[in-house]
Amino acid sequence: MPIKVIKKGLADSFQDNGRYGFQHIGICTNGFMDYLSAQLGNALVNNPINYPIVELCFPASSFSFTSDHTICITGANFSPVINEKSIELNKPIQVFKNDVLQFLKPIKGSFAYLAIQGKINAPNWLASQSFNATTLQKDNVFEVLPINASEIYTHKISPNFMTTIHSTIFTPAPIRFIPGPAWNDLTEQSLSQLLTQPFHTTLQTNRMGYLLNGPLLDLTKPNQYLSSAVTRGTLQLLPNGSIMVLMADHQTIGGYANLGQIILVDLPRIAQLKNGSSLHFSLTNVNTAHQLYQQIQKGFIH
Amino acid sequence: MEVELSFNHSLNYLGDHAVVLSFDVEMNDSSLNYVNKIATALNIFKNKYTWIKDIIPAYQTITIVYDIYDYYLTEKVEPVLLFKKIIPPLIAEASANFTLNTITEVISVPVCYDIEFGIDLKELARTKNISIEALIQLHCNTIYTVYYLGFMPGFAYMGKVPEKIQTARHAKPRMKVYAGSIGIAGLQTGIYPTDSPGGWQIIGRTPLKIFDPHPSKLALFKTGDRIQFYSINIEEFNIELAKQTTPIN
Repeated sequence: MPIKVIKKGLADSFQDNGRYGFQHIGICTNGFMDYLSAQLGNALVNNPINYPIVELCFPASSFSFTSDHTICITGANFSPVINEKSIELNKPIQVFKNDVLQFLKPIKGSFAYLAIQGKINAPNWLASQSFNATTLQKDNVFEVLPINASEIYTHKISPNFMTTIHSTIFTPAPIRFIPGPAWNDLTEQSLSQLLTQPFHTTLQTNRMGYLLNGPLLDLTKPNQYLSSAVTRGTLQLLPNGSIMVLMADHQTIGGYANLGQIILVDLPRIAQLKNGSSLHFSLTNVNTAHQLYQQIQKGFIH
Repeated sequence: MEVELSFNHSLNYLGDHAVVLSFDVEMNDSSLNYVNKIATALNIFKNKYTWIKDIIPAYQTITIVYDIYDYYLTEKVEPVLLFKKIIPPLIAEASANFTLNTITEVISVPVCYDIEFGIDLKELARTKNISIEALIQLHCNTIYTVYYLGFMPGFAYMGKVPEKIQTARHAKPRMKVYAGSIGIAGLQTGIYPTDSPGGWQIIGRTPLKIFDPHPSKLALFKTGDRIQFYSINIEEFNIELAKQTTPIN
């Protein structure tokens, strides 16, 4: 029995871990903005961790259920209620026919995830259910299909691991990055500003990228580079000297100065920053990034 | 003429989940062809190594995106070291067989340069101090090379536009440019595959479907393709448009 969207949210969509293999023809990957919260949500309802999930921004959609489901809300805290009664985050919850799920106010974070046990039956294109558009409209209905017994995620998420995920995402800490091709073209002063001064997220934050407010940075040469592929987490220096952090719906190729790329393990943290939040950057290296990423992924059983 | 070509290359990390192979090449068609040939050769890795997720060629670079977790399930050394071992033999092989005259057919693309579609034609002709006819002729008389695809699915960046008609982007992008619109931006020309916001100076529209979401079709052009435009009138445009079946999503 389907789940119905009874109120449209700002920019809600189905996302999975992205569409790869087509960036060479300009098709960007899309996918979870905060993959850790999405993976946690899926795991807690016994779904494979990279399954499609409902990604919500505030103001978020409201849903009504026409049959029983196990659901779990992870990521941002938008004060979720079922039939106007508060529910806990990061905990599987049983919902019943005619129950209504709403999100009342944004308390923490930018992206909440609604995991539903089973497989969301949403449009699939090139082996992914991720899209760069707001896919949930008012009165949309979607089915959640049972999954094969062999696919059911049975590993228990330990309280320790839950705490690790939570602090990785929500405990303020410098955003770590690896220097990119244009790193050495920064002036000495700009380089030092990037590593010491605070930056702030602006109103221009969306699934494509986060424009930052902060010291305007200078290069020792014109900001004209031959276009080359960029990745999620790329720090692009715009012509006016501000930084744009590329996120899940980024273009595949860019021609602005590429100052560096944020490491995967810190992407959920920056993704969850609300408009106007402050952040610092710090340098790291590939080996550290690989160790951190593997450590946190090993908390899930793939 | 068969000339063996090879260029110096370097391999570096691009963040924690990609490496970038950079070639020390000039910006011209044969070096672009060379980079593209290497990228094609690298595609065999996609089947061999399931942790490779994307191989993305551009002017001078090929970026390989990998999955960190899956990588370390099967490999022990760090990715850049493995790539430094497996890439050079492929480059050597591709370089040995590379000739300057491997450039193949030219794809003909019909364009209706009616001012109804070419909404910036008049102003562009005026600022460049040439007639609209001469501008169209300059745009059609050039064979363009697809440098890379990006910006949106199927959007091919092509060059090089004759100097006389090179023009800057609009300072303020339009909210909507129609699918099929042909634009100029600097030395590049390109076709908008779908309706989208855009800042390029629009000089015409093609009835061809540049991007088809059907998995067996997708992008009409690929990196390295050679393309020439020819002028059609609005009747021919409509006939050709009617032949293009399912609408663009």
